[in-house]
Amino acid sequence: MATLFPTNVAPRGFSSTDPELAAIDASVRWPVLACLLTAVHWMVVGTFLLVYASSLSHPQDTFPILGWFVDLSNNFSMFTYGRVWPAAVDALVYGWASTAGLGLAIWILARTSRSPAAAPGVLMTAVIFWNLGVAAGITGIFLGYSTGTELLEFPAFASWLLWISYALFALWAVATYLGRRPGRDHIAQAWILVALFAFPWLYGAGSILLGGRPLPGSGVIQELIDAWYVHGLYTLWLAPLGLGILYYLIPKISGLSIRFGSKTQIAFWTWILFAPWTAVHDLVGGPFPAETVTFGLIMSGLIFIPVVLIGMNLVSTAFKAEEQQGHHGGVVFPFLVLAAVLFVVAGISEQILSIRSANELLRFTMFRDCDTFLWVYGFFTFVAIGAIYYVVPRLLDFGWRSALLIKIHYYMSVYGILLVVAMLGFGGLMQGAVLENPDVQVTIVTADNVAISFHIAATMCISLIALGNGIFALHLGWMLIDWLRLRVRGNRLAAEILVEPFEPVPAKTSEEAAA
Amino acid sequence: MKILSEFRSFFWLIVGIFMFNWFAMVVFPWLELGHLDPIQDENGTDILPWDTSGSAHAGERVYAADGCAYCHTQQVRPASSGADIIRGWGTARDADGKDVTRRTYPRDYIWQGQVFLGNSRNGADLSNVAARFTDAASLYRYLYNPYVLNPHSSMPAYRYMFVTQKISGQPSKDALQLPTPDAPPAGYEIVPTAQARSLVAYLLSLKKDYHLKPDEAGVPYVPPSATPNS
Repeated sequence: MATLFPTNVAPRGFSSTDPELAAIDASVRWPVLACLLTAVHWMVVGTFLLVYASSLSHPQDTFPILGWFVDLSNNFSMFTYGRVWPAAVDALVYGWASTAGLGLAIWILARTSRSPAAAPGVLMTAVIFWNLGVAAGITGIFLGYSTGTELLEFPAFASWLLWISYALFALWAVATYLGRRPGRDHIAQAWILVALFAFPWLYGAGSILLGGRPLPGSGVIQELIDAWYVHGLYTLWLAPLGLGILYYLIPKISGLSIRFGSKTQIAFWTWILFAPWTAVHDLVGGPFPAETVTFGLIMSGLIFIPVVLIGMNLVSTAFKAEEQQGHHGGVVFPFLVLAAVLFVVAGISEQILSIRSANELLRFTMFRDCDTFLWVYGFFTFVAIGAIYYVVPRLLDFGWRSALLIKIHYYMSVYGILLVVAMLGFGGLMQGAVLENPDVQVTIVTADNVAISFHIAATMCISLIALGNGIFALHLGWMLIDWLRLRVRGNRLAAEILVEPFEPVPAKTSEEAAA
Repeated sequence: MKILSEFRSFFWLIVGIFMFNWFAMVVFPWLELGHLDPIQDENGTDILPWDTSGSAHAGERVYAADGCAYCHTQQVRPASSGADIIRGWGTARDADGKDVTRRTYPRDYIWQGQVFLGNSRNGADLSNVAARFTDAASLYRYLYNPYVLNPHSSMPAYRYMFVTQKISGQPSKDALQLPTPDAPPAGYEIVPTAQARSLVAYLLSLKKDYHLKPDEAGVPYVPPSATPNS
């Protein structure tokens, strides 16, 4: 354990030792920090709302505090489950994951373009508008202006703010990429650029066609577009952003090149070809053209090809680093390794849903929540948290305060997400077995009673995650306050307890290993 | 990295893959299903499906804003795919007292402004909820206190859609008849707000008690006595 979280108490510089990289980091410091800090804020808001929403889905005598929660939800429209749940999910998807993803994408694009970034003011404006959009959207949901369409609940005025902001981000990103200094391109750039192309396509089609008044005569096509949008957001927006960050950071931190590097391109193209077809998992058996569903199940059934290739690239590189160095290279690495593993787990969950009979069993159960958790929380959040632990000290030239707090956050998140996935996955199987029971005496009440114990377990695990995230946010706040004390008041004491969480320990020599 | 060496071809290849996905998954079904018209019944006297009332359309907004679709589906899969027909979710009684048991078709949804197919069955399917709750009063009572039917129900109560008011003159026609723990104090009554009225009008419009295809006799029939409803 001592080597898993090595700490270095001596004060030292944290910005990159490469002066060129340090200059680039300095040029995007404030927009990236603004993205990451507001993202962490939305993560805390989102996870605590999720605890509240999840606790409403079981009987009110489960926990003493629950009676109070239930009274709140019964008597005030703002606190009813149907408003809090979408507010929580949207806070996590748009407030947390998308904002953090945009911030990290800016940072990686600036670094891989090899020249200090221009016009950080554009990015600051974009961050402000983006956060205003998310805040307006979530307030709109609470006040009853939700559109009721999954992941497109934000009312039209919030969508406009997100649009303006995104246009600024995207213009900056494309300009930065096109103005890059000549040299080798990085595979992370391809992943980030495809995400930046996909988002306006998805959000444009989704919010224009479904965001305002529904198109007359479109009927069930609305739900088809929504399924396309939701899964597109996971597989073409969050997944490529997360993968871009992983493809950049894993070799960077471990000092190894990506293993099976010749497979990175085929993994990229097969992923964007097959992954968006996971949308048909929400259409099986529904009132849709059978040929669309069948074709989609064939395409999404081929998702194992990119998942296996990406797993070979990322998981095996991470494990090799661990084998060579005898540890995970500080606290950043455990988060990133787990993210790579959870990407494969999420791919397996999509693979299960692409089998028609399995889909029929799990279609309307909590297994679908498990899938959402795996993409948004399991995979993407672990990438982003690991990256934040790595990036923030480099931007501020200042260390984290406590290795213990990072350790606590890590273990709470790991056990939380693994238990949530296990509970919702297995619970979905049990709930599906009752819902699809051929005995006519079985009713929805039976299925509900089976599901309740898994909902209770999931609530407790989500609480664990929320507490861990709260600790993370407080730790970040503590770090910023000490940084201000050092910068503004010249308080040298603040610099005394710097933690160096990310420095890879040099590989053991053969004599040391023998001893 | 060869992947990005020619930015223009990289860009157009990505656009091509997105276009393929968009056309095959959205545009093609839209061309097929986007312009469905209602049909006439065999006597030529009725237009099917039935059109919905104005207050039912207002209820769609309440259904959307309060997120009913996060726990309730409105789709019945065919007997070949899942047990929806066996659960009784495809059964509604028509005007002649005969049970119609069938899956839902795209044409069933053409009058709805917003369609809520749903992806979760924490609650019951609502495609034929009006076949199980036949009058507004029972739905009001259920929305006010769902624990009457199932004490462990995970459905929230929607008390904020009702107001308690002093009876002046005649008691209100829509006042809820509630058992003792929920009953208002003497001289007071609990009445639904406009929100609750439109939501209930919407729910009462959800009934597929007509045939859209002549070959539906092939769908397995479940006798209503064995059909669990709740």
